[in-house]
Amino acid sequence: MTNPQLALLMLGSFIFIILAGFPIAFTLMAMGVMFGYYAYYVPGQDFFDSRVFYLLSQNTFSIMNNDVLTAVPLFLFMGYMIERSNILDRLFHSLQVALRAIPGAMAVAALVTCALFATATGIVGAVVTLMGLLAFPAMLKAGYDQKLSSGVICAGGTLGILIPPSIMLIVYGATSAVSVVRLYAAALVPGFLLAGLYVAYVIVLTTIKPKLAPKLPREQTDIPWSKVAVMLFQAFVPLAVLILSVLGAILFGLATPSEAAAIGALGAMVLAMAYRAFTWGRLKEAVFLTARTSAMVCWLFVGSWTFSSIFSYLGGEGLIKDFVLGLNLNTLTFLLLSQLIIFLLGWPLEWSEIIIIFVPIFLPLLPHFNVDPMFFGILVALNLQTSFLTPPMAMSAYYLKGIAPKHVLLWTIFKGCFPFLAMVFVTMFLVYVFPQIVFWLPNLFYGN
Amino acid sequence: MLQKFLIGIDRFSMAVGHAFAWCILILTLGTSYEVFMRYVLNNPTSWAFDMSYILYGGLFIMSGAYALSRNAHVRGDVLFRLLRPRAQAAIELVLYFIFFYPGVTALIIAGYGYAHDSFGYREVSVNSPVGVPIWQLKALIPLAGTMLFIQGIAQVIRCILCLQTGHWPSQLHDVEELESMLQHEHEAQAAEKGGQ
Repeated sequence: MTNPQLALLMLGSFIFIILAGFPIAFTLMAMGVMFGYYAYYVPGQDFFDSRVFYLLSQNTFSIMNNDVLTAVPLFLFMGYMIERSNILDRLFHSLQVALRAIPGAMAVAALVTCALFATATGIVGAVVTLMGLLAFPAMLKAGYDQKLSSGVICAGGTLGILIPPSIMLIVYGATSAVSVVRLYAAALVPGFLLAGLYVAYVIVLTTIKPKLAPKLPREQTDIPWSKVAVMLFQAFVPLAVLILSVLGAILFGLATPSEAAAIGALGAMVLAMAYRAFTWGRLKEAVFLTARTSAMVCWLFVGSWTFSSIFSYLGGEGLIKDFVLGLNLNTLTFLLLSQLIIFLLGWPLEWSEIIIIFVPIFLPLLPHFNVDPMFFGILVALNLQTSFLTPPMAMSAYYLKGIAPKHVLLWTIFKGCFPFLAMVFVTMFLVYVFPQIVFWLPNLFYGN
Repeated sequence: MLQKFLIGIDRFSMAVGHAFAWCILILTLGTSYEVFMRYVLNNPTSWAFDMSYILYGGLFIMSGAYALSRNAHVRGDVLFRLLRPRAQAAIELVLYFIFFYPGVTALIIAGYGYAHDSFGYREVSVNSPVGVPIWQLKALIPLAGTMLFIQGIAQVIRCILCLQTGHWPSQLHDVEELESMLQHEHEAQAAEKGGQ
């Protein structure tokens, strides 16, 4: 068997094996080692002298001293700490009364709360579940439409993986060697654009059909503005300041993403103390969950880098390149095809697997189609929003279904997500047609 | 007896994972200290950069077995989830021998040689003149591999038990993700209401 054929076998069998449900990090590592042993086999060589062993430890160590990935556990820790700081209900209530004058006030408040909280924690499941227990019953009780209520919570919670400081963009930075700072600057405008479209959709819809979102009875919202200001100051302002200082420190070059994340984690602990939510038990929970999730993400990198270094040694990358170039695609059709593949992969897989394992297959092709890897990353980040919202595997919808009242059907939640899904595609289209949405801020800050 | 042995292994992986998990707190405080020293006192430390990746690397590599014991490593389990426990166990048992042990064993062997070389000349970091040692970080690679190997034994025995009895034996629990904790609470409440 020739080397490229072997590479093809490697990729083909991997895609099949991944569906067998074994932990992917170890599958990748073992396949890398086995194919690598065969590829580097020198007759007469001692078993342990095979070059593959050196490659394996070299790859493992390069993940261990990777200064981009250092930010991953720190941001996770910040998120787990904020999750446990009792801030969410205050945040939702303060925004709800502050926004009472606009149509669909509760839905907009839920959307903004989800977006802000998800941005700070970066953990989609927790946001959707917490809001599903807090805001969802409140909205249903106020007579809000089931579809609208579920849509805002699912879509709002998912924004956390897109709007910086997001862990997904750090992981993309580590895979693509694009600077995380530039990625953050690039994601800011598209992120706010998408969030803005969500809010605009809710306001327009509830203006046209007011019965989807009845106004709350007067006595519940009749709170003087001075009191509202105090509520906002207690809940909204501290969290917003925390996010903005972390993001600002990164964007203005005052600190590296890891340093800013450490400050953010410290700030999250202070915040938890201020809300009297800082206990020994909660700190332990946050610390242990951080270790577990970091292990999950970083071991996936260990497996993937081992796999892909063998894959490219066997000439697999060249094979894919020849194949794709042979399709005579132009930039538009290449982008459409690659985004379609990523969209489909989003059904069975999670964002971490897609970015760490599958996105590297596309990266070497980008120069041939004149696509900037940063631009591609933003499209991927937008696209992966859909993986949480598209049936049949919409994770956000399942999180909500898990804690929603029995009479709310899964299908209703799916239907509630559809308009927001459409908004994601609109944003991707806008980003493609007006690339300045992505490039404007990074070019302004850091030049070309 | 066997169950006790399995839980013992879980407990071992968990204890090591928990111990290394506290790296995150040191990392948070240490890095914050560095930022404070640099901006407020204009006196950056010489060790902060090396400290940051050493703590991060130690944290994730030594939590690998802990994550395995708590089933936290991602799987493409869309189809796997739908199978009955016995079928799951059969698939998993085979895959442990094809895809877990070769890789993990290679990691132990490779990591041992790698760490041995590094220890041989007491390797230090080149990032700063202080010469922060990094051979100990490399030495964690074979250790982490060994931990995974041991936790893998427990998982393999669990597969065999599940093949015999038709349901998965219990594993040690500690903290859950917030969403699954809340989901369990919600289910328990719903069950209580349904029972009345």
